[in-house]
Amino acid sequence: MNQLLHNGPFKDNGLLTVIALIFGILVFASLLFFIIGKINPQAKLQEVKARTKSWWVMATVFIGATVFNTNISYIAIAFLSFVAFRELYSLLGFRESDRRAIFWAFIAIPIQYYLAYLGWYGAFIIFIPVVMFLVLPMRLVLKGDTVGITKSMGLMQWTLMLTVFGISHMAYLLSLHELKGFTAGGRGLLLFLVFLTEINDVMQFTWGKLFGRYKIIPKVSPNKTWEGFIGGMICTTVIGYFLRFLTPLTTGQVVFVSFMIAFAGFVGDVVMSSIKRDIGVKDTGTSIPGHGGVLDRIDSLAYTAPAFFHLVYYMAY
Amino acid sequence: MRKLLLVFIYSFAVRTFLKLIVGVKFDNAKFLLEEKQFIIVANHNSHLDTMTLLASLPSKILYKVKPVAAADHFGKSPLQEKLSHYFINALLISRKRDKEHPENDPIHHMIEALDEGYSLILFPEGTRGEPEKEQPLKPGIALVLAQRPTIKYVPAYMKGMGRAMPKGDNLIVPFQSSLRYGKPTTILSNRVEEILEQIRKDFELLKTGA
Repeated sequence: MNQLLHNGPFKDNGLLTVIALIFGILVFASLLFFIIGKINPQAKLQEVKARTKSWWVMATVFIGATVFNTNISYIAIAFLSFVAFRELYSLLGFRESDRRAIFWAFIAIPIQYYLAYLGWYGAFIIFIPVVMFLVLPMRLVLKGDTVGITKSMGLMQWTLMLTVFGISHMAYLLSLHELKGFTAGGRGLLLFLVFLTEINDVMQFTWGKLFGRYKIIPKVSPNKTWEGFIGGMICTTVIGYFLRFLTPLTTGQVVFVSFMIAFAGFVGDVVMSSIKRDIGVKDTGTSIPGHGGVLDRIDSLAYTAPAFFHLVYYMAY
Repeated sequence: MRKLLLVFIYSFAVRTFLKLIVGVKFDNAKFLLEEKQFIIVANHNSHLDTMTLLASLPSKILYKVKPVAAADHFGKSPLQEKLSHYFINALLISRKRDKEHPENDPIHHMIEALDEGYSLILFPEGTRGEPEKEQPLKPGIALVLAQRPTIKYVPAYMKGMGRAMPKGDNLIVPFQSSLRYGKPTTILSNRVEEILEQIRKDFELLKTGA
């Protein structure tokens, strides 16, 4: 117990504050929808209620895994990547003859996360973009089926990049070496990244619902409006500014990084939307009630995680 | 003892594996508890099909459900026969009818098992075939149902199994797949073609997701 407390969240008051804040928001949202539902029973709250419920579960699991034991979080994030990869590749219509190469791509997931766990930066950063990029086509060629092989090579690499390489940057945050005078550490950075990305999604959604008029890319995502985008971005940047204590950054840097998270999150969201539109599905899966599949929830993270990681890595480490 | 073993294997180990690793989305099968006896009629693309159906069952009735399997495949040797009995709870039948010797006749075997109170899992397509492609239904299921018309059949449709583990490949590659159950139904007619047509329509309905 002593050990747990020592390494646990209580050493650093900043982490505790944010965790309290997260649960505060969830309590507030749950109460709000409950009251609205009582006042106006006709209000269509099914979706937001299901979403809030799922948020409770996700927040609890995430905080539990991240704050109490960082080793579990490597495994948890790797599993997230695995499910996202499975969801996406299942939809993309690979050939029968791609099965062996897909299996290799699955094997790449634990390797990538083990490299993140080791904190071996050079290997971590080239493993998927270079090693798997060269190896997977070789495995496809060994199978010998050339009809449509170019498409398979491209799709497989791209799927790995989006669902494994991008997301694995979250895990690497936990392996960053300690900085003097910065107590929140990798867990603080991870919390900052995930909290800001998700709050950005929620803010853009809310601002869009309330004030949205001018659509940005109606052909891809009719719900994305300039009002939602700009409103969400400002909110996210402001919230990021107040959470500066989770990062080793200066005020100017944290504002810039928060702004970039908001922007990258938006891009990740619409990129995933365009793919879903192309395939002709609304959600990539059904594993999270109200949200769709795992990939529907972490599409923004696939973009914000590498953006955030490399900005922080450049600025502070 | 065998009951417990089956429950541990399917309701726990296989189910967890299929759900977390392979990515099977299970339909709720609680409604089967209300049926005294039934025949699950499913499409067949993969060895995972039997595993998935067994893992989907409520553990209370698991030991009472026997998947019907081809004796020439699952009972090649006495050892394999034993394993099929212990670990799959299988009812082994021959693929060909034998009206002269009822002890070898597959239809007779199935009726016997039903009369003993077992429920069955049947793949009327017979063999697994190419992934995600349907094959004509064989008349065995209709012959059984025609002889025991009060027993309900339950259509089940699986998608994606043939991609996770196709015929002729023993490597399982995770693939988002699903199992859906239809409603327990009794046959509307006694004629073989009409029963098969009824089942085909049930499959079609489950496949399109209506």
